[in-house]
Amino acid sequence: MLMKRQIPLLIVIVVGLITLFGHFIANEGVQNFVDNDSTQWYDIIASFAIFLGGLNLLKLQLLKIYKKQKNWQYSILAVVGFFFAITVGFFFRGANTISVTGINAEKVEQAAEMIAEETGESTSSILSSISDPSADYELQKIYKTHGGAEDFSQKLEAYGETQIEPIEWGAHLSATRGETGSLFNWMFVYIFTPLSATMFALLAFFVASASYRAFRIRNFEATLLLVAGIILMLGRVPIGEYIPAWLIGVFFVMGLGALLAPFIKNRKITLGIVAIGSLIFLIIGFTNGWNPAIPGFFHLPVMQEWIFQVPTTAGARAIMIGIGLGIVGTSFRIIIGIERSFLGEQ
Amino acid sequence: MFTIEVFGTWFAVFLTLAIFSYLYDDNPFYKAAEYIFVGVSAGYWTVTFFWTQVQPNLFGRLWPSLETVNADSIFIKIWYGIYNIFGIFLTGIFPKGGIVGHPEIRFIYIIPLILGIFMLLRLVPSVGWLARWALAYIVGMAAGLRFYGFLNSDIMNQIKATVVDFSGSWVSILNGVIIIIGTLTGLLYFFFSREQTGVLGKLSKVGIYFLMISFGASFGFAVMGRISLLIGRFNDLIEFSSSSHNYATFWLLAIMIIVLGAWAFQKKSESGEEVTN
Amino acid sequence: MKQFLNIIIKLGSIDRRYIFILVGLSVLIPLIRPIDIPIRATSQSQDVFNALDALTPNSKVLVSFEYGPSTKPEIHPMSMGILRKLFSDGHKVYATALWPDGIFMSVEALNQTEEEFSLEYGVDYVNLGFRPGNEAVVKGVAADIRTLYTSDTRGNHIDDISMMDGINNINDFDFVFSLSAGYPGTKEWVQYACDPHDIPMSTGCTSIQVTEVLPYVEAGQVKGILAGMPGAAEFEKLVNIPGEATGMMAAQSFAHLVIVAFIIFGNITYFLKRRSDKKNLGEK
Repeated sequence: MLMKRQIPLLIVIVVGLITLFGHFIANEGVQNFVDNDSTQWYDIIASFAIFLGGLNLLKLQLLKIYKKQKNWQYSILAVVGFFFAITVGFFFRGANTISVTGINAEKVEQAAEMIAEETGESTSSILSSISDPSADYELQKIYKTHGGAEDFSQKLEAYGETQIEPIEWGAHLSATRGETGSLFNWMFVYIFTPLSATMFALLAFFVASASYRAFRIRNFEATLLLVAGIILMLGRVPIGEYIPAWLIGVFFVMGLGALLAPFIKNRKITLGIVAIGSLIFLIIGFTNGWNPAIPGFFHLPVMQEWIFQVPTTAGARAIMIGIGLGIVGTSFRIIIGIERSFLGEQ
Repeated sequence: MFTIEVFGTWFAVFLTLAIFSYLYDDNPFYKAAEYIFVGVSAGYWTVTFFWTQVQPNLFGRLWPSLETVNADSIFIKIWYGIYNIFGIFLTGIFPKGGIVGHPEIRFIYIIPLILGIFMLLRLVPSVGWLARWALAYIVGMAAGLRFYGFLNSDIMNQIKATVVDFSGSWVSILNGVIIIIGTLTGLLYFFFSREQTGVLGKLSKVGIYFLMISFGASFGFAVMGRISLLIGRFNDLIEFSSSSHNYATFWLLAIMIIVLGAWAFQKKSESGEEVTN
Repeated sequence: MKQFLNIIIKLGSIDRRYIFILVGLSVLIPLIRPIDIPIRATSQSQDVFNALDALTPNSKVLVSFEYGPSTKPEIHPMSMGILRKLFSDGHKVYATALWPDGIFMSVEALNQTEEEFSLEYGVDYVNLGFRPGNEAVVKGVAADIRTLYTSDTRGNHIDDISMMDGINNINDFDFVFSLSAGYPGTKEWVQYACDPHDIPMSTGCTSIQVTEVLPYVEAGQVKGILAGMPGAAEFEKLVNIPGEATGMMAAQSFAHLVIVAFIIFGNITYFLKRRSDKKNLGEK
């Protein structure tokens, strides 16, 4: 019990209190811990939490394959993907660079031509980079294998002294030269990027289909939501500028009529209000040569701006303060040891 | 010339189309891409988190470069002896002569190392509870940080900002008043949502209207964001359909449509047979 | 007439794949055949521009990359716009990342600007890269950046980079710009670095995040906001360097029109259906 519940609880309380009140304790050791080490420890432990996630996923997928559960064949792909990332991350950098020094000044152009053919750059840009032929020049290409680098470096030997250098561990993650990069970078660009980007882009279709099928004006609240959404959608993009304000005015009058209809018994009065209102906006439009920006308040970009800065801000601020109060309350309960749900079951 | 980059381009187009094929229906292409995504991302995260924090800031503090450390004592020699054993297997992670970066050995960093290992023990059922110690550190610190952060930025500063500047124009005063009404009534709705009668009920109803406009704006922005992402993806596909990429998009699209068509036809005839049986 | 109404009602429950096709085409066609639509900046984008424009030359600006490939189309054009503005005004850029993907984004953006402006690494800009730990990292940058970052993304030691001289914590920066796609991001920079230490900051974020960050903007805690891809296009117009986002605005506009048309048409079918249901009930 002590080890499983009391000690974790003690850690939470001590760490929470030190984080919150550490600045008020006039002790250099405590100050230093609060400013530096405590956050570093957090970062380190958080990294281990990520490793745990990775290992856990591997365990689940391997179990799925072992037990031949439904769709187990696909799990092989997940496992292969995982090990590919681990391999290019920890064991095989696939990142070798070639640098050349002491290029014979007379042969600089020939060397540059040869390098240009290899890296796909223009000869002139290479020549401008090699301002001093005797100095070190690094090729704008990363070779995935040492052998590949060696092949070209041997050809280049004719012009100067070459050296093959692997990119340092750690820096290899995002290393690029020109159009090429390390194997880890290759994985990021050609596997991780299309997958994660398309997963998110896919939602565009579902948002559209949901707007068609699910957003119904059932009551006043839903109407507000939809109208605000539509005005924002059109007002935020350049096309909003060209939707005439007088037309929006006419729509507004019609909407007003629909809202007032239940309260006014005589239909003719409602109809009259709508007709006169629409006429006013049409006259405004006509007298201003159908200028889309007049009357100003019904111009979509202007309406959008007001909705964004006033009622949306008010609503968003209420939400922010509400959530803030909730988080501050929960944090307080955690720090004083009342909230223990993170400890789980007994 | 066929290089790994050219292969990469084709593979990227294939993966993109495989995910998009979900729009037709759930199918083997989509599933394959989904599982690759899961596996690769888990590995990707593990690798990046290791190289950006654990190696430089944990191992780097436990075994800093010997150039800056006085290694005369026998204890330090043993300590680096352990390091060298690791180094035999993983020269990249434990380079010869210590990790350059931090100036001195910080033995206190054995504590986060142990807590980190405890975290991994979650995978061993009998000692999985040790992970709570590590989790407790995370939870405690997050609570401490958030208490101050949210109190200051999300509550105090927001309340301070919700004032009307009476020296401004009548429009700005009116807008300021609307913001105050909206914020207060919105909060009323949150905290007295049960009492929907009387004055409080009416006021919280006004609060709902403001919240609805806010949600409407969020909805508009959500649509905007998704469309932008779709534009980005289509842009890439258009780029890869050019002659410089050997019309990769067109080729792969055609192949996938044929395969998916055959797959759908087969599935249909299979389910048809089941019905007749 | 009745048949026509019935068709419209039926369209209300059409297979969603037809909607998918229409949405896809509404984006694809303007991308293949682009038209030029003039862009007007919103006041929030103007605020971002003004805040950056007011910096004295040689200011030290921390630019944090908190996004990845999933939201790259929205944020990356902003990164380019912001970096171009900062470099053309002669500021020093310190790049960090709260997301692991952020390293790759910053490397790509900075490589391109390095070429455009003939920059020198370590003198004009430095890329510190990613550190895991979310808000704890922001707190770490605020307290002591040198214990958090001992080396940059290229493997250089911090002490060997000349522009890192005298940079110890957040107070040594003149401005913070967060390119953010969610958690951790803009909110964390406000809460743990810029509010407590009174450092001016601004943000460019995904559309979805805008309403969440909006109260900070209106309260002045964040100077303006670039909202999604249209925000990026507006900034491109303000700095007068057309970039990637400007060309996409036709597709964005057209797709919005199509979706608004969907919503309106969907509601028309809803009303017609409700009316005909009522009628049928009355007849029975």
